[in-house]
Amino acid sequence: MDAELYLDNNTSYHRLDARTKILAFLAIFIGALMFRNPVWMLPTAALVLGQMLWARSAKNLMRIRFVLLVMSVSSLVLWNFFSNGTTPLFWIFEVESMYYAINRTLFILSVVTMGTILISTTRNEELVMGMIKLGLPYRVGFAISTSLRLVPTVAASLTTISQAQRSRGLDLDTGNIVQRIKKFLPLLVPVFISSIRNTNIFGMALESRGFGARSERTSYLQMEMKRLDWIVLAVALVYVVASIGLNLAGYGRIVGLTNF
Amino acid sequence: MTESAIAIAGLTYRYRGTKRNAIEAIDLELQKGEFLVLMGPSEAGKSTLATCINGLIPHFHKGKLTGDVVVCDKNTREHTVSQMAEDVGLVFQDFEAQLFSTNVELEVAFGPENFAVPRDDIAARIDENLTYVGLTSFRHRPPATLSGGQKQKLAIASVLALQPKVLVMDEPTTDLDPISKMGIYEITGRLRQRSDLTLLVVEHDTEEVLEANRIALLKDGHLIKVGPAREVLQEVDLFESLGLMPLGIARFFKAMGAETLPLTPEEAVAAYQSAGWSISGERYEAILERERQLERDVSAREPLIHCRDLEFSYPSGVKALDGITLDIFKGDIVAIVGQNGSGKTTLAKQFNGLLLPTGGEITVHGKTTREQGIFKLGQSVGYVFQNPDHQIFSETVFDEVSFGPRLRGLPEPDVQARVSEALAAVGLEGTEQEDPFSLTKSGRQRVAVAAVLAVKPDVLILDEPTTGLDYGEQRSMMEMVRQLNESGSTIIFITHHMWVVAEYARKVFVIKDGRVLLEGTAREVFAHEQELSAASLRPPHFIQFTNRLGKTMLQPAELIECLEGATA
Repeated sequence: MDAELYLDNNTSYHRLDARTKILAFLAIFIGALMFRNPVWMLPTAALVLGQMLWARSAKNLMRIRFVLLVMSVSSLVLWNFFSNGTTPLFWIFEVESMYYAINRTLFILSVVTMGTILISTTRNEELVMGMIKLGLPYRVGFAISTSLRLVPTVAASLTTISQAQRSRGLDLDTGNIVQRIKKFLPLLVPVFISSIRNTNIFGMALESRGFGARSERTSYLQMEMKRLDWIVLAVALVYVVASIGLNLAGYGRIVGLTNF
Repeated sequence: MTESAIAIAGLTYRYRGTKRNAIEAIDLELQKGEFLVLMGPSEAGKSTLATCINGLIPHFHKGKLTGDVVVCDKNTREHTVSQMAEDVGLVFQDFEAQLFSTNVELEVAFGPENFAVPRDDIAARIDENLTYVGLTSFRHRPPATLSGGQKQKLAIASVLALQPKVLVMDEPTTDLDPISKMGIYEITGRLRQRSDLTLLVVEHDTEEVLEANRIALLKDGHLIKVGPAREVLQEVDLFESLGLMPLGIARFFKAMGAETLPLTPEEAVAAYQSAGWSISGERYEAILERERQLERDVSAREPLIHCRDLEFSYPSGVKALDGITLDIFKGDIVAIVGQNGSGKTTLAKQFNGLLLPTGGEITVHGKTTREQGIFKLGQSVGYVFQNPDHQIFSETVFDEVSFGPRLRGLPEPDVQARVSEALAAVGLEGTEQEDPFSLTKSGRQRVAVAAVLAVKPDVLILDEPTTGLDYGEQRSMMEMVRQLNESGSTIIFITHHMWVVAEYARKVFVIKDGRVLLEGTAREVFAHEQELSAASLRPPHFIQFTNRLGKTMLQPAELIECLEGATA
């Protein structure tokens, strides 16, 4: 069962310094916050899409397509509740609020995609090191990477457990979504128990190898900013500055929108 | 000139929230450079004692500790686990959970990094230790892609990279196939010769502890016996009474009334020859004839599971089964053996329709698994997963066992009857209202079997039913399986325990790289030592000994039956 998040494609995006990738992620996050109008979001979306293709991370996004779909649909609907416009469409929907909902959806998708690209192209240790080099304490960086590391473990035990239950006659494949979820819930008990057990051993193994023994720590892995890193960072900087500038100049808004 | 590396004095420990001391009044001293093996049945306190040595007890686990553990002049009370890590390395049984890096060399680097070892020095330690365990060519691979044996070797290398003075290994080979085990023991053998390293290994497998300097036997938290390995291994009866597996060879010679018992196959052959014994060809032929008769009876029945050129590839493209052809007959008891990752479990999952073939044909009860589907097949083919904790989720044993029958819409009185019947079959009568999670591993294993039995399948598949159990528990588990077989169930079990195959399987399939490498009765299969080793398997010592005599005997009783020129 292959549940690793890291995709070993070895593209030039993979070879970028982890710091560059983290900063690119932050750049998109900040830049995308600057626009309300979905049309103005398109350049950001294009940048994200370009990176996804460059990094060849589509496979991981396909894995979470169901989550992405649910998120998109609910975002498209829910934001209409929290915003009002002047041109009625039907029920609670107005043209302006619809625009806004589309914009928020694009924002969420962009950030999730960037996050996915980051973890699909960066090894755990590199991510930790990148975060530390950017000023995060070692333990915090390690904690973040550990929670990411848990995902494949939990996914693998979920597969085994659902197989075990299906062998006993639990039919997980039919019924409507509520029925399926109801049948699925009991499976979480063994998933939790085996995860807790694994985490316990993991904790013991960590300490047994001297985790946190000294306040200082060396790193075998070395990182180096290369030319491509500086180019990407320059593009990111231009992007962030331009986005903020445009926002301050009053571009990218939706006329007639009030939101809470 | 020796000095003590580990000094344990008056050590008693009780886990928080438990009523019983896990270990009690332990006094044990290990000299520098010594190799001690710790043995004992389940719940004896072996892991507890092992984790006391690097300070996980009392720092990681909470509980009440009295007495002292001093390792390399450091009292574990006064030093954290991380501080102890420089002196004491600990390797765990679970080879999955103790590795956490994304490639092999970073895994080894992790320890030295924590102690701020300069980078060049870390590089040197990576080279040295990967060479030591033989993983140099894997240095850039993710640990997840290694085999079980390789993972355990990596765990050893990453602990050795800290250059500890004491190495503790807690059942490092329990989940491994026999040849992977040998790989670990080969490493242990070299480590033992290093005078600067003290070794303490917790081990179940009696055949693998011959090289130890001393053996310590533990039961119910007490040290029962500590002595030189060869001396302790002579105590066949003590081993039996503690629920540990005695050496088959020692058992045989003990039954023959020998005074000093040979322990290895070589010694056994020598002792056999000097005793002037011989094997009666006639009586051996009688055993074979019984077996042949049984074979004719069984294969005259209809095949229950029928595979022809069965192939299976995972969605990732990995081909796990590559043309399996076999028949499993009604009422038979069949073992499937092979290396970790050989395709055994994938094959067994075809039998109940959990996985469907991507090529070739498989029928169960004359119909393809594809047309029957997992829900329907699950009724006739029960599957007990390797780890009972992947299966159990109910609050009481009753709920757990009644889950299957209820799902299939049985009326409540029938459900009750099925549960009592199934619990009786596994020897757990009267535990209906207990919390399954409070039972021991072997108890939970039995609940898992009962839960499958309650659906009354014709075929019962058990994936490594004896892993993680001690010898006594393994025996009683397999006796139960045999009884189920005798009362009509067809049994298929997957296992790494060769003695279990020798004593309980009638027919054996050896799987290698997704194909059937060997098939036959247990006797036929164990006669082919060389082919077996190609599949990373090895017969038990006792069978190796009789193979050298030119006949294959599955257990001491058979050899005794055939022996001529003996008085006993």
